[in-house]
Amino acid sequence: MAGLQLHGLTKRYGDFHATQNVELDVKEGEFLVLLGPSGCGKTTTLRMIAGFVDPTEGSIRIGGKDVTLLPPWKRNTGLVFQNYALFPHMTVAQNVAFGLEMRGVPKSDIGPKVQDALDLVQLGHLAGRYPRQMSGGQQQRVALARALVFRPDVLLLDEPLSNLDAKLRHEVRIEIRALQQRLGITAVMVTHDQEEALTMADRLVVMSDGQVRQVGSQRDLYERPASRFVAGFVGRSSFLEGEVRDGRFTTAGGLTLPCDKPMRGPAVIALRPERMTVAAQPHPGSVPGEVEFVSYMGGLIDLHLRLSPTDLVVAQVSNREGSLIPELGDTVHVSWPDATAFPASDPHARGH
Amino acid sequence: MSSITLTERRKLRAQGLTASGLIGPATFIVALGVLGPLLLLARYSLNLYDPRELMISAFSAQNYIEFFSDTYYLSTFWTTIRISLLCTVICIVLGFPLAYVLARTQSRYKNLMIIGVVIPLFVGNAVRAAGWMTLLGSRGFLSVWLMRLGITDEPVEIMYSETAVVLGIVAVNLPYMVLTLQSVIESIGRHIEEAAFSLGAAPMVMFRRVLWPLALPGTTAGVILTFILAMNAYATPVLLGGPEFRMMSPMIYNQFQLNNWPFSAAVAFVLMASTLVLTVLAGIMTRQKFRD
Repeated sequence: MAGLQLHGLTKRYGDFHATQNVELDVKEGEFLVLLGPSGCGKTTTLRMIAGFVDPTEGSIRIGGKDVTLLPPWKRNTGLVFQNYALFPHMTVAQNVAFGLEMRGVPKSDIGPKVQDALDLVQLGHLAGRYPRQMSGGQQQRVALARALVFRPDVLLLDEPLSNLDAKLRHEVRIEIRALQQRLGITAVMVTHDQEEALTMADRLVVMSDGQVRQVGSQRDLYERPASRFVAGFVGRSSFLEGEVRDGRFTTAGGLTLPCDKPMRGPAVIALRPERMTVAAQPHPGSVPGEVEFVSYMGGLIDLHLRLSPTDLVVAQVSNREGSLIPELGDTVHVSWPDATAFPASDPHARGH
Repeated sequence: MSSITLTERRKLRAQGLTASGLIGPATFIVALGVLGPLLLLARYSLNLYDPRELMISAFSAQNYIEFFSDTYYLSTFWTTIRISLLCTVICIVLGFPLAYVLARTQSRYKNLMIIGVVIPLFVGNAVRAAGWMTLLGSRGFLSVWLMRLGITDEPVEIMYSETAVVLGIVAVNLPYMVLTLQSVIESIGRHIEEAAFSLGAAPMVMFRRVLWPLALPGTTAGVILTFILAMNAYATPVLLGGPEFRMMSPMIYNQFQLNNWPFSAAVAFVLMASTLVLTVLAGIMTRQKFRD
């Protein structure tokens, strides 16, 4: 177990930057999740850590040792793939033993270690099976045991849950996280699923277009997104576009709001649907809006509210006794406690 | 039977009719065109030969006994097996790396590369052998250039040797081996290899422990294919091996030309049986290997 540092990690394919100047410091025992849409460079980053992609520039240190130029088989990383990648011609026990054999562990020690690792993922009783005789969830647990048995410096997980059905995904998710915490192993996981990322990570890294957009805890990203992209990617946001002048934000549709950020010029305000307060009567700081669409989802109701000819926001209200459930065409009054404003020149606006 | 409903029975009958309709024509041609001549040959091989009366109807193992007691025929037999094994081994050794690159390349020219492998098959064996003759003969391209470059003083004669025959057969068989191996390797996901690397296996260890065992069953298909082709090679040994070099297929034809049908039928059966036995052996060996 060891920390992991990525420094100025860049991968270019011709003119295309798969990753650009990625800086990350993963602490020992930390679970870091790389989150982003497809093509954002998260998988390339993981593959560079594993050693399958040579960085164009930058360095990778594992446990203080520079491994940038080491081939994959000389880095002590445990890798779990989306499609399990178990060796089909070996039994479960042989699969798990493989990494130990490669490390020259004495034969007499391999058996007990394999058994321990399989017990860890509750598959000790299936050691003699072949991968094809197991379900997807069991195969992914074997893959996990295989990657953990030799106590890698870093555990790397490449969309490990994507091939599992929804119910299994929840189970294996919790299992991976619990194991990682119990063993105190440093882990880096790649996913495009924000729920998965939020429930598993100690810290998250949001990437787009090959660059790290923000690093932080779940709360940091949700409450203090650094850019419009992050605000749109982590959780849901409605965006109001306009201009800031003399401490006031004005949209093209004529909506005017106070803005305390020291900024000027074109700007975007991100609003969380679940932070909005909707009432029948005007209240301090509220803005009137016409209900354009009602999406009734049982416990929660999404209201699409038109605040001006150009401004549409989504407000989410919980369906409780006494809650206001407006009808289409009603006028309601909506307010929000705080809103994050970004300069509109934010280059990461793509995707939302 | 009574528990089967009427609709089910109808369905069964329909399927039966369709299936027999589909396999019928092919079965008929195989029966008539392959099994018929084979049975005829089998019968001929038990007949006797007389230079004046040609074939004499009999029921004797004389031809087979003659074949296996004469060193002339036996040495031809062993040469054929030796050359075929050698060519097959060379095809694996040369073909596997090529097939691996073809299977794993991300290049957009992959299809062109595959066509490049297949193109030699567009040329008939006799035409190809003629090409080798102009290349390898004592006044051929290779020999002339070796002399011009001062590497040798005397003409180099590669033609009419075992080397030339092996070279020729490998050139014919290699595309079959490469194409078979390529699809085998493609069916083994790249992630499997990466998993082995990440677990600490260097490339050669990965090959030995993961890629090769997984490719083995498919490789057997390629081995069988190229081995059978080599055992039955005709044009290449005749044209590149010259009069002194003997393999089974040319020998069968020569016996036919001498009008000794019974003996040539017997030789044909020896060739067929030995090919079959070695093929089955290869299959059994790989299956056992794959099990452990």
